[in-house]
Amino acid sequence: MHSEAAIREPLILGHKTYHDITQDIVGPIENKAPRGWYVLTTIAAIIALYGVGCIMYLLSKGIGTWGLNKSVDWAWDITNFVWWVGIGHAGTLISAVLLLFRQKWRMAVNRSAEAMTIFAVIMAGTFPLIHMGRLWVGYWVFPLPNQYGSLWTNFNSPLLWDVFAISTYFSVSLVFWYIGLIPDFATIRDKVTKPGMKKFYSILSFGWSGNAKAWTRFEEVSLVLAGVATPLVFSVHSVVSMDFATSIIPGWHTTIFPPYFVSGAVFSGFAMVQTLLLVMRKVMKLEAYITIKHVEYMNIVIIVTGSIVGVAYITELFISWYSGVEYESYAFINRATGPYWWAYWSMMTCNVISPQIFWFRKLRRNLAFTFFMSIIVNIGMWFERFVIIVTSLHRDYLPSSWNMFHPTWMDVGTFLGTIGIFFTLYLLFARYFPVLALNEVKSILKVSGESYKNEAAKHQHH
Amino acid sequence: MSSTKRYWKDLGELHQQPDAIKGRENEFPQDLAIDQVLGNSSLTGASTGRRDFLKFLGFGIGAATLAACETPVIKSIPYVNKPEDITPGVANWYASTFYDGEDFASILVKTREGRPIHIKGNPRFGINRNPALPKGSINARMNSSVLSLYDGARLTGPVAKGSEAPTTWADTDKAIAAGLAAAAGKRVVILSSTVISPSTQAAIAAFKAKNATAEHVQYDVISYGGVTGANLKSFGKRVFPSYDLTKADVIVSVDADFLSSWGSTSENTWQYATRRNPDLAMNRHIQFEARMSMTGANADVRVPLKISELPKAVVALHAHISGNSAGADAAMMKATEGAAKALMAAKGRSVVLAGSNNEGVQVLVNSINSILGNYGSTIDLDAHTHFKQGDDAAVAQLVKDMNAGTVGALFIAGVNPAYSLPNAAEFKAGLGKVGLSVSFSGYADETASLCNWICPDHHYLESWNDFHPKVGHYALAQPAIRPLFNTRQWQESLLVWSGSASTYYEHIRSVWQANMANRGPEMGLFEDNWNMAVHNGVLTAPVAPAAAPAVFAGDVAAATAAAAKASTGAGDFELALYTTEAIGSGQHANNPWLQEMPDPLTKITWDNYVCMAPADVEKLGLNMYLGEQAPASLVTVKAGDNEITLPVVPTPGQRSGTIAIALGYGRGENGEKVGLAACVTDHNGDFKPVGKNAYVFTRLSEGGVNYDVLNVSVTATGETYPVAITQTHLTAMDRHSVVKETSAATYKAGDKRAYNHPHELAVHEDVNGDGVINAQDKKPVAEFDLWEEHPVEGVGHRWGLSIDLNGCIGCGACITACNSENNIAVVGKDEVRRSREMHWLRIDRYYSSATTKETAKKDGLGKIDMYLQMEVPEESPSVMFMPVMCQHCNHAPCETVCPVAATTHSNEGLNQMAYNRCIGTRYCANNCPYKVRRFNWFNYVSEKFGEVNPAWDDLGRMVLNPDVVVRGRGVIEKCSMCVQSIQAGKLAAKKAGTPVIDGSIETACSAACGTGAIVFGDLNDKKSMVRGLADSDRSYHMLEEIGVKPNVNYLVKVRNTEEAAAHYA
Repeated sequence: MHSEAAIREPLILGHKTYHDITQDIVGPIENKAPRGWYVLTTIAAIIALYGVGCIMYLLSKGIGTWGLNKSVDWAWDITNFVWWVGIGHAGTLISAVLLLFRQKWRMAVNRSAEAMTIFAVIMAGTFPLIHMGRLWVGYWVFPLPNQYGSLWTNFNSPLLWDVFAISTYFSVSLVFWYIGLIPDFATIRDKVTKPGMKKFYSILSFGWSGNAKAWTRFEEVSLVLAGVATPLVFSVHSVVSMDFATSIIPGWHTTIFPPYFVSGAVFSGFAMVQTLLLVMRKVMKLEAYITIKHVEYMNIVIIVTGSIVGVAYITELFISWYSGVEYESYAFINRATGPYWWAYWSMMTCNVISPQIFWFRKLRRNLAFTFFMSIIVNIGMWFERFVIIVTSLHRDYLPSSWNMFHPTWMDVGTFLGTIGIFFTLYLLFARYFPVLALNEVKSILKVSGESYKNEAAKHQHH
Repeated sequence: MSSTKRYWKDLGELHQQPDAIKGRENEFPQDLAIDQVLGNSSLTGASTGRRDFLKFLGFGIGAATLAACETPVIKSIPYVNKPEDITPGVANWYASTFYDGEDFASILVKTREGRPIHIKGNPRFGINRNPALPKGSINARMNSSVLSLYDGARLTGPVAKGSEAPTTWADTDKAIAAGLAAAAGKRVVILSSTVISPSTQAAIAAFKAKNATAEHVQYDVISYGGVTGANLKSFGKRVFPSYDLTKADVIVSVDADFLSSWGSTSENTWQYATRRNPDLAMNRHIQFEARMSMTGANADVRVPLKISELPKAVVALHAHISGNSAGADAAMMKATEGAAKALMAAKGRSVVLAGSNNEGVQVLVNSINSILGNYGSTIDLDAHTHFKQGDDAAVAQLVKDMNAGTVGALFIAGVNPAYSLPNAAEFKAGLGKVGLSVSFSGYADETASLCNWICPDHHYLESWNDFHPKVGHYALAQPAIRPLFNTRQWQESLLVWSGSASTYYEHIRSVWQANMANRGPEMGLFEDNWNMAVHNGVLTAPVAPAAAPAVFAGDVAAATAAAAKASTGAGDFELALYTTEAIGSGQHANNPWLQEMPDPLTKITWDNYVCMAPADVEKLGLNMYLGEQAPASLVTVKAGDNEITLPVVPTPGQRSGTIAIALGYGRGENGEKVGLAACVTDHNGDFKPVGKNAYVFTRLSEGGVNYDVLNVSVTATGETYPVAITQTHLTAMDRHSVVKETSAATYKAGDKRAYNHPHELAVHEDVNGDGVINAQDKKPVAEFDLWEEHPVEGVGHRWGLSIDLNGCIGCGACITACNSENNIAVVGKDEVRRSREMHWLRIDRYYSSATTKETAKKDGLGKIDMYLQMEVPEESPSVMFMPVMCQHCNHAPCETVCPVAATTHSNEGLNQMAYNRCIGTRYCANNCPYKVRRFNWFNYVSEKFGEVNPAWDDLGRMVLNPDVVVRGRGVIEKCSMCVQSIQAGKLAAKKAGTPVIDGSIETACSAACGTGAIVFGDLNDKKSMVRGLADSDRSYHMLEEIGVKPNVNYLVKVRNTEEAAAHYA
């Protein structure tokens, strides 16, 4: 067992034993849920049901129930899609990339972040499905053998790449998440006493025995999956960005999009992780595991990716002028000064200007402020996608087709609905699944636990 | 010898064991459970095993399912005896004639399996034929008229007042005979629109012969009494002359919207267009007007004047031309100076037109044309038309007599006076005092619903008729379908009531026979002539040349005084009433295609409104920008005791201090059933007429009905009203690769780069051969290819369109023709408001702005300000019309992005759309730089849209083109370049064993374009017209620099501005 420098802040606060950790994580699953959980779940479920209702209405009546028109054929639907995919980036980044880089602090947050990823990708995947005019023939996007002669999918289309990118990302993330859950499920199985629950977790844990061989395999599989998942972190949003980058619409046709989208995605993903964890840590009393230091680390990621995004925005502006292309240049002037100026400046304020405040260490470690900022960033990133999609489409090449987009209550309803579904799923997760990778956290207890570090420091002084 | 061998099944049988012997009696060795399952024994006692039960269950369900799977039987009954000329799947075209009392055109009617489904102009015969193309020029109202044949609101038989159900013709005839007998001694009046049919006149004569007191009064809804009256005063002939604009080098129009509504527009349009070709002698068109008319939008020079100034302008113009400036206004003298100079320079090759219905103004115009020597060249009073014979004074007298009770019987044909008369209320009151009132209207409309009897006339596509539109020119209309309902042609009703036993068809033949006989032996056999006339739709007879041009004998001083009277106004605003290209005078207001056709200038559908100068809109503090969520402000326009409340639409080019309102709207105000689209459910959920009736503002004055109201007040109500606009942006933002425009002088100078500069890219090779590779080494962007090029050049066909921006006058006939040919859904006002109209073809309208990139550079204007200023049209803008359909790109951006390859490229250059494959991601529509793709946001063929979409009800569905699929919900659609016509044309050529001959295939839009602005053909046919145009100097591709390589090219618009402007210096 290696030891850690004393100047590093401990990742587990207080004097925790292995048993304490088990107790802290499994306890909430065993015990009755607090009333707050029921209240939140009810609210989320009502919103989710409303969203499902909206989606049913949409599917029964037609896409016209959204506010789209002949010039703006995508608006909130694809904005929401990209926004949710972006949010779904943090989980895999934390669990895969940070695993490869041996960042131990990921252990406290990766489980929830991955869960968030899974749910966000489900929400993301909903939009490309329901935005189709004919969902019932949506399976045609898969290259399925058929009796229609040479009929095949169009491999030139970025939308098709999306299909593969998203489905791959989703399945790898799901497997990765689940494999991590297996030893923890086994711990719960061993601990709970109610027969129903025992049965439930026993099925989920796939008969995990916890012997050394199993642990070795577990480590190996995790590493392999991390290797597989890491390129996906970059590929998914690159592919999503190509929906726009490969088009000819001014404001979309931009080579900077893949890196810009990926960093934007990480930016928004971490913001969403903050939003969720800051609440969860309080409610589930996980302050010892998700420490101020964890929050600070994530805020540092936010400031870095936020700055990358800022540079990308400014690069876009520069290139639109430098290219000398009339349409390109107008597209960006229109973004900043046209009818949707408020969306552009909301985006700029939320994504570029406000994260810079995190240069102040005090604010970076201020939980209330971090929570506030995480919401701001989420709003900003939603506006980023809205700006890219709607302001580019609403005034493109021919002024005769210039138009405005006005959302209907259905646009709002479907978006809110997905937020409701997302939170419902997340709340169910928080109730029934181990919200921390408890076995992994145990592995760093002796190295990064506060009391152990203090102990070690004392010994060194001798 | 029989065999005695015995065969046995098993040892048991061989040894004759009793079980085996018993078992042999049964077919099956074991007992089957059939009896137990199907027998009458009680179920509880049955010993059916579980397995057996499941077997029977499975078989039963399987059998039932298979039995239910029978494919539905669609009964398709073949002809027992195949009618001559009808082959299912092959269209027949019949020559016929459109005449609705106002507009006239020779047409071809396309029928499929006996149903008329499409109308185009007759390309071979008729006064509306453009011989240069050749094509027949028709407007949107004409080609849309096929839809009104299938209007569910049409009456299905004769109806007595107060009864809902139709009665029989025998009963009706009896009642009317009784009514006529009772009316003896009183006035018996046939009130009709202008009758140009010799046979109808003969039928009326027969009726008059039967009824001693019968008389015929003609009433033009849009009165030309001022014009015909002036001709009476000037030349002694109460006629509407023929104009020949092909001979006019200079056209000066004072408020005459001659391309859209004034005079014989189906002639005016093609004649005008032939002189707009900059390669030939281009005419010069100067327009003085208050509102921005379609004609004004096409003018080389447009001078906005107040309505009260227009008569003064005519006086001034007369003063310039005649040299007698008595009574002329100094300011107007200056304004008309240039026009006068241009006219003087083109004596005998010019024409002055005036839209005013003021007799004085028209006498002055006659005097000007007379001095200029235009009679006998551009204006023909000898081979004059028979249009516009309406007599406003006689109509006024009739209304008086009706109220006095001296009218015993009134027969109303083709007009709707209770809706359109200036004194409609008086007319309605009078109608109640008429003993027998009969309407021939096909609908229980405003007038008909008040009459004692409605004897519904056939739709014109169900009718025989003849016409004599102008001297020496005859036309025939033949039915293209059997009457759908128990209707009777009104002429035939007259014949019946006159005691004649012949049908109207026989009557026409007898009239023609009599007329032919008068023409002497050179006309040949009647039957041959008749058949020829039916086949061609037209018969021309030689006209004796006039002895001498007419001599002007009008009283100029009196005319000047009368004109002066028409120019005194003291109100806040002056109001011009006009008719729109789509709706006309209102008789076609029930046509959904027309209601959804955007106005050429304002691009508004489904409403009439107040056109107001943007400066005035701003002054009154009303809404300037209109859009989906930006409704128009409502104002109340008041003139005298009449007022109506309408939305205000800022209209660039409208003279400040004037407003304009379209007539023809507000049909069915009292709940009359006037047809499919005249009344619709509005945004509040109320079933209401479309627009408001502005005829209340018309006034009967000396000479004729007056459409200019010089004293109106406009008050904002503070409320708003949503309007449905298809193009919310006004200017082209100085985007030169979208619209290109030049002056005639620049064009004539011959340097293509000056007016049609190609987009070039610098390359790394020595292109110009100066030995250095630098920024001057450029190649046109057309030579670059990001992808492998489609092998189209020289391989088979490559279909393309060429669109001449000089030829396009913005009329929109192509839009409705496309609707009809391609089964385009009508989506209604609310969907149009949300920018979801389904038109495959649109006409973009751009106003010029005062700021351009050049002026901004000169003025040192920042980019942001420059763009903001470029969004605003100038006060008196010039206008561009640009038809845009799918450009059929050879590197189509839509094709690469479709995930399921639903849109692909044909090997003939077409961008094709497979609706069945489309999953509706709309990615293609986003990636289309021309934004021509349309998405089916809802199922437009559903009850929700049944109010407006003819494809919903069974009757309306008959208009659908069976060659084109009706698109369902959730798929993208767009212009297919009428691929069904291309295939049909190729097949015809193949059967004939010839190559496809240029011009033998037409798209709906190109066939509808009588001005020749849209030309279709094979770009790989080096000799084709379209190839010639595509290779010409004026040709360019829209957005050439993005490299999508369209198969549609545009020709730079050339305005004759320099020459015209020179006369203003």
